[in-house]
Amino acid sequence: MITYVLRRLLLMIPVAFLVTVGVFALVRLSPADPALAFAGEERDPAMLAAIRKDMGLDQPIPVQYVAWLTHVVQGDLGRSFQTKQRVVEAIFERIPATLELGAAALLISVTLAVSVGIVSAIKRNSVVDLAASGVTLAGVSFPNFFLGILLILLFAYVIPGHIFPPGGYVPITQDLGDNLRRLVLPAVTLATASLAVNLRQVRSSLLDVFGHDYMRTARAKGLRERTVISRHALKNALIPVVTLIGIQIGAIIEGAFITETIFLWPGIGRLAVTAIPSGDYPVVQGVVLVSAFSFMLTTLFVDVLYAWIDPRISYGNATG
Amino acid sequence: MSGATVPMALGVPRSDRVGAIAYFARRNPRMILGGALVLVWLFLAVFAPWVAPYDPIKVNVTDALLPPSRTHLVGTDDLGRDVLSRIIWGSRVSLSVGLISVSIGFFVGVSIGLAAGYLGGTFDLLVMRVIDALLAFPALVLAIAITAALGPQIQNAMIAIGIVAIPAYARLTRGQVLAVRAREFIVAARTIGSSPLRIVLRHIFPNVLNALIVQATLSTAFAILAEAALSFLGLGPQPPYPSWGQDVAYSQRYLANLKWWMSVGPGVAIFTAVFAFNFLGDALRDALDPRLRRSA
Repeated sequence: MITYVLRRLLLMIPVAFLVTVGVFALVRLSPADPALAFAGEERDPAMLAAIRKDMGLDQPIPVQYVAWLTHVVQGDLGRSFQTKQRVVEAIFERIPATLELGAAALLISVTLAVSVGIVSAIKRNSVVDLAASGVTLAGVSFPNFFLGILLILLFAYVIPGHIFPPGGYVPITQDLGDNLRRLVLPAVTLATASLAVNLRQVRSSLLDVFGHDYMRTARAKGLRERTVISRHALKNALIPVVTLIGIQIGAIIEGAFITETIFLWPGIGRLAVTAIPSGDYPVVQGVVLVSAFSFMLTTLFVDVLYAWIDPRISYGNATG
Repeated sequence: MSGATVPMALGVPRSDRVGAIAYFARRNPRMILGGALVLVWLFLAVFAPWVAPYDPIKVNVTDALLPPSRTHLVGTDDLGRDVLSRIIWGSRVSLSVGLISVSIGFFVGVSIGLAAGYLGGTFDLLVMRVIDALLAFPALVLAIAITAALGPQIQNAMIAIGIVAIPAYARLTRGQVLAVRAREFIVAARTIGSSPLRIVLRHIFPNVLNALIVQATLSTAFAILAEAALSFLGLGPQPPYPSWGQDVAYSQRYLANLKWWMSVGPGVAIFTAVFAFNFLGDALRDALDPRLRRSA
């Protein structure tokens, strides 16, 4: 097991290196001049030259990359062109909001997927199963920003009483009730993005387990159906669900960009989206880098967890 | 001469594939429904100037914010522009971004996958690490980052979504190439002196094609969704040109006034277009490549 983890970590090194090259290249791809973006209204050539020199833009690209990477590994992602705030600080300020939204979405998505998936698999072709199939079918094609807007329309404006506000954020520490009220719509929007995939996975892995011999044996020896399902079927069927959490993290990071924008949720996704029009590259670069590394590390963690939970996984054959 | 007989005997004849699809379509209403919806959207996109009842850009403030009626089936926006006409013209953007970005992903990804799978060794190792690095980014985040770097334009959105689509094709193709590379007909082709390029294009590629057709259909759905998301964030075509995602974003300011048609119209358009390609892709997967039914 330790060898497996070490091997996965080693395989991650070249990929992580290429990710940093990619994120660095993003700014260099841009036709816009970072010095101009930093300078704002300043257009004096001498001043621009000084800014370029200060930012290291007069150096060869590889030198610039090494300098940038050196700062990154020391936790320095540069400063925002607009607010002049350190990017790391800006990200850390907004991470709690993103994590709160992500955790709530994960909770809704996994709870619904597991509970509805179980009923759907046990009672095949029932109303619940058909409804779940409909959700699965429509869910993968439904743009989550459209869902968010429909939810705002319904719950903030159409249904009398304005059950939920259309957007905004109040920190938990300030007012827990208001925080939760504002969390519901964005969390449901974000959760729905991955609910369809999760539901399908839970249902199909349960149906797969139902066909195994040990299920027949459990029933044949007179166990109650509830015990058969909970002790024998679920234990095995839910193992693949662990990987869902890995897939979810990607969906949640992606969705956060959109969902946070619709609901004015002050997380890292919205931080990046608002930085784009002003050409605030260090912020965009920082958020993209943090997103990619969070995604990579979660995928690794989930793979290791999966290998640990499921003894059938052969460490030797697993590759990056 | 004998080189020509080997692929004739072992390749998948085109008529068989068409026959398989036709046979399956008769027994699979999903393919009919998905295919019909795709055709409807393609028709609307191609014939938008003739089908759209109004000019999608022309401002007509006297008709502003009209609810759906006989004259304006999906109502009008705050500038009096017909929402239905904007939806029909918007389909050009969505479908062209979908098709072009999928073509970029297809050609680059398949070429990488064929080369990596057939050549193996260091080339395979290096190229696949680059593919892994692309996969390390959540797909939409990468598309947003690339479009943000290149500038908010429709061409850049196509490039960004195309780049994001590359890994899926590269991995799929490489996997299939590795599966058929050691088969007898490839060994036979090599033995009779076929060039590597000929082996890859005439003997390996036809074996991968079915899976690729399925992937292309499904990734068109993703591309339409991604373009809508980029446009929603202001990274697609710029106003006043109609684009579904951008129109949904624009409508947000009128939600409080309950001008629901401005959001629902383009939103339903995105949903039906994505649904059509997803539905068709799933049906094609069952018809062309039953082995992939559960895995993708």
